[in-house]
Amino acid sequence: MHHRPPSHLRIASHVELISLIVMLANVFTVHIESISSLMGPAHGCAYLFVVIATARLRQAPTTVKMLALIPGVGGLLALRQLDRFGPARDNTEEVILS
Amino acid sequence: MTKLFLSLHVLAAIVAVGPVTVAASMFPAMLRRALGDSGDGDAWTTLRTLHRICRVYAGVGIAVPVLGLATASSLGVLGEVWLITSILLTGAAAGVLALLILPAQDRALAAPAGSASPLPAPTPWTPGRLAMVTGIFNLLWATVTVLMIIRPGSTTGV
Repeated sequence: MHHRPPSHLRIASHVELISLIVMLANVFTVHIESISSLMGPAHGCAYLFVVIATARLRQAPTTVKMLALIPGVGGLLALRQLDRFGPARDNTEEVILS
Repeated sequence: MTKLFLSLHVLAAIVAVGPVTVAASMFPAMLRRALGDSGDGDAWTTLRTLHRICRVYAGVGIAVPVLGLATASSLGVLGEVWLITSILLTGAAAGVLALLILPAQDRALAAPAGSASPLPAPTPWTPGRLAMVTGIFNLLWATVTVLMIIRPGSTTGV
């Protein structure tokens, strides 16, 4: 059913990395408090979302679930692995089911 | 900036959580009707719409804790007991919604389509069980809302 990783995982992975970059850039340059206040929770929520969403993907092997735990880039790394191996794995699963 | 965060937080809570509670509460009753009368195509269409509302607005609802934490951190109240309790309860509510209700709705919708396959899919929950879990979700949200208004032990007048 899922030939590609779901789009919500894709969005959350990008939010995870972009919010981290914005946060670090903010800390090392202008350091506006409200940007830290907003980006901190956004990054945390995106990270949790990516970890939980990947853990619940039926076609994801354990390696991918572990990759998603890496802070910052874990979601994108997991997506890359899913894009590479996901479709083949998914097909075998369908064969088993049918 | 705090006032902007707080306004957006309340707005997101009303706009996102409201539809989810209503649609999720209507789902079990509609599911009961759809299961009782298998020829009722309208009921299944409604179920799909209700599930879509739950799924989409649950996604929008992520803005609520994000903006809430932003507000709390700019107010400097992150260590207060009422807030920590609310965060834990919100986490529980989000877990119930994303890990129990939405997958259960998914299975309930997939059941009639996949009934032809010889291998049984995971058995969908009965409407009663789904209604119970949805009730727990609504109760958790109501508790958080009350905590947000009463704020026991809070000293800020905001």
